[in-house]
Amino acid sequence: MSFLRNLFAKGAVERDLDQELRSYIDLLTEEKIKAGMSPDEASRAARLEAGSIEHIKDEVRDVRKGSLLDSGLQDFRYGIRLLRRSPGFTTLAVLTIGLGIGANSAIFSVINGVVRKPLAYPGADRLMFITSQFPGLNFNKFWMSPPEYFDFKEHTKAFAHVAAYTTGAMNLSEGDRPQRVNAAFVTASMFDVLGVRPLRGTVFTPEQDLPGADPVVVLSHELWTRAFGGDPSIVGKAVMIQGRQRTVLAVMPPGFDLHDSRSQLWIPLGLDPNNRRNRGSHFTYVVGRLGTDRTAAQANAELQGFLKQWGEWAPNTHVPNDSTHRVQMAPLRDEVVGNVRRALWVLQGAVALVLLIACANVANLLLARAESRHKEFAVRTALGASKTRILRQFMSEGTVLSLLGAVLGLALAFWGLKALLAANPESVPRATEITLDPVVLAFTVGVALLTGLVFGLAPLLHMGEQAVSLSIKEGGVRATSGSGRNRVRRGLVVAEIALAVMLVIGAGLLIRTFRNLTSVDAGFDAENRVTFGLVLPQATYPDSQRVVQVIADLSRKLDEIPGVERVSGMQGLPPQRPVNANDTNFEGYTPGTGDPPANVDYYQTVTLGYFEAMGIKILKGRAFETGDAIGGPVTIINESLARRFYEDKDPLGRRLDPFLTNNGTLFTIIGVARDVKQGGLEAPAGTELYFNHEQLPRITGFAPRQMNLVLHVSRPLSTLALPIRDAVSAIDPGLPIVQLRTMEDVIGASLARQRFLSLLLGIFAGVALLLAAIGTYGVLSYMVSERHREIGIRMALGAGNGQVVGLVLRQGVTIAAVGIVVGVIGALALSRITRTLLFGVAPSDPMTFGTVVAVIAVVAVAACLVPMLRATRVDPLTAIRAD
Amino acid sequence: MASQPANLLQGTLDLLILKALALGQLHGLGVSRRIEQITRGTFNVKPGSLFPALHRMEDAGWLASVWGASENNRKAKYYRLTAKGRRQLETEIGQWQRIAVAITFALQAT
Repeated sequence: MSFLRNLFAKGAVERDLDQELRSYIDLLTEEKIKAGMSPDEASRAARLEAGSIEHIKDEVRDVRKGSLLDSGLQDFRYGIRLLRRSPGFTTLAVLTIGLGIGANSAIFSVINGVVRKPLAYPGADRLMFITSQFPGLNFNKFWMSPPEYFDFKEHTKAFAHVAAYTTGAMNLSEGDRPQRVNAAFVTASMFDVLGVRPLRGTVFTPEQDLPGADPVVVLSHELWTRAFGGDPSIVGKAVMIQGRQRTVLAVMPPGFDLHDSRSQLWIPLGLDPNNRRNRGSHFTYVVGRLGTDRTAAQANAELQGFLKQWGEWAPNTHVPNDSTHRVQMAPLRDEVVGNVRRALWVLQGAVALVLLIACANVANLLLARAESRHKEFAVRTALGASKTRILRQFMSEGTVLSLLGAVLGLALAFWGLKALLAANPESVPRATEITLDPVVLAFTVGVALLTGLVFGLAPLLHMGEQAVSLSIKEGGVRATSGSGRNRVRRGLVVAEIALAVMLVIGAGLLIRTFRNLTSVDAGFDAENRVTFGLVLPQATYPDSQRVVQVIADLSRKLDEIPGVERVSGMQGLPPQRPVNANDTNFEGYTPGTGDPPANVDYYQTVTLGYFEAMGIKILKGRAFETGDAIGGPVTIINESLARRFYEDKDPLGRRLDPFLTNNGTLFTIIGVARDVKQGGLEAPAGTELYFNHEQLPRITGFAPRQMNLVLHVSRPLSTLALPIRDAVSAIDPGLPIVQLRTMEDVIGASLARQRFLSLLLGIFAGVALLLAAIGTYGVLSYMVSERHREIGIRMALGAGNGQVVGLVLRQGVTIAAVGIVVGVIGALALSRITRTLLFGVAPSDPMTFGTVVAVIAVVAVAACLVPMLRATRVDPLTAIRAD
Repeated sequence: MASQPANLLQGTLDLLILKALALGQLHGLGVSRRIEQITRGTFNVKPGSLFPALHRMEDAGWLASVWGASENNRKAKYYRLTAKGRRQLETEIGQWQRIAVAITFALQAT
């Protein structure tokens, strides 16, 4: 009650208090007049006796309930008024804080959307991702084979539902524009595992998921609205997918996706539960939903048991075990966000450092202001303002600043994020879930309040050291600078430089990593190469001989385009494509006991002229030739394969059975090609087998229908795009062209994440460096103006410009040197965290460290320049006479 | 100015104000003078302590205030004890007496 009255009827309460005190003095005066004083005398004596009215009022206000809030508001208003009075300072401070807070909010919203939020499935924490692992082959998180999936599904008691899937892309010929869309091939159980019901229709049943069942499809909400205009009667209709009519069974709700695959189509995987052969054919991922009363630990224990028993379920076959062919599980969320998590936290750490530097800078500004406001505070203290009140006022000023900064920061974060994600859409998973939601807002406000508190406390650091009463008298005693308060300011700048050193070193290492990656020899020549993908549907081109013919016809047509020098086709597009490891029998090679079965990382099928078109060197033997189309089965191996399976023996002429046909078809090695990166530029090339597209149908009865064409060109892509499209539609107007781009773009895309990371860190490091330079400049300028008089005296006593400059430089260099040493130590301490993000550069790389230290030293000296100049311009006469 | 009488013992100010007002309503200066009188001039409560204490006690609900006219027809704010204030006075008297006895015993101990 009285709390509310105090707060809202403030005017009345204040007037009341005023009157009460006035009447007290009146009564006291009267008393003194009665005692015989003259009215004037009495009035003066009464006032003296009563003491400071303002002080009493302050004290009374303080004991009142609600006074904290009340004087808080007052402080707040006073703070705003003061800040408005010095717009330059306010703008600088708000910009600095806004930058710091904006960067933090932006990165935090990425972490919030990508790492923190649960996946968009009901009970997503019960979803586990199950993969195989071949320690001997260095394969981690590898696929499972269908028999392994069925074995697991049958025996597990820990999982309520288990599903297998693989992803790919399909041609959708609907309307006038054929298009290529991502597809997920899933078992019927997948919808139970993910726990998501369709928006319309019903998903496929296990019967519809058997081989030979009628073709059906489930559409994503996005595809339904985009390609089918949200047709309400879509369920039951047939659509042409990959040259085959599929009945639409259902439409999934918006935002439904699997493993961030951006799937638009859901197609039955069609595994045969009775087929337990081909155990080496690892191509599906397995996802499971834990039973309601089971934990991940129980499921894992069960799995470890399975690894010991698997041999009993399928004797004398290649089955998972607990040494060479393990099976592992991890929460699905870890799988989706796993490898970016560390990078994101590194970024968050970096922006936290930027904010700290920004804070140190603004604290320094406030400190300088506090010093110039010494007298104001002394006067207020003398008038009865309590020390806590002055502290509170610092705090509210700081809070006003940081709240303004937070508003600016949120705006920066919003636009910055939009721009960044637009420029780098593939750089983080779950990008669509990144928003400025209430959690991010709360985070921002929290950070702002915290920084406000820091600013409030900073001026107090040195206020505490001095008796306020001294300041009024001060003025004459200015010959030397107060070393106590300067220690705080210098400490802040040292911290700034140290933090900047750490950040710049981190950014430097990542930029070198990125440079190293771009200069990695991918094994082929990307310059002047253009590529696009193409899929020849089984339905339209049932005969694989025909597939070869179409690709050959298309190649010839493309070759006729002016500016196209060479054309060839390949199944997989380097430098980054999924492993398609296959068990391979090498004639005369038997794996040692305990060794994994002989397995090749990449199978690659290429058309004639491939090695020339791609600029891949044949090191030994020969490339494929026209005659191979009608000749015996031949293959080309890469260096890594030669090393691994033939060691120092000559591989040429040796034979192997890549498709495990058991009919005695052996391929003869005719050449050894240079290693080409397939699993990313940062990974070893892996073992690879090349097959001849023209020859395969005759030998094995099949040929890859998904091919990437590569064109060695002498003209820019922009002038070639149209003729290329014309050439394709002349062959078959229903064939969509997939991702027509330069080979350099392909390499660039494989580095999207590293580029994103090094770009962001580079920006943050630049901001940090700038702020640290401003901080150094600020503290030195302040020092010069404070030691103005001392410098004047020194000059009057005969000190030359050199000595005066030395005075300033010594200060600046000391600060910078201490900051750099601390920063280098900090960077070394952090190297453990950054190590896994680096490539081809040690976390303590002396080159980077040296360069960064030199750059920072130069920046620090540059920051000294203006203060040094100012020091030499000190006029001894005015300096000594001043004050 | 006369030599400063003994400093108010911590916590005794409330008790003295309550006691002073137990005899009837008083304005601020009146409270101060009554305390001086009943303590035989030992305690002289300055406005800097008096008013914060009065307002605090009013907030606690021990005192109620009303504007009235002084002896000389000046407007003054008068304070009086509420029922809660009376109970508080009883409690504080009890406490004080226990302390006084205890301190006396302590000082007589040999």
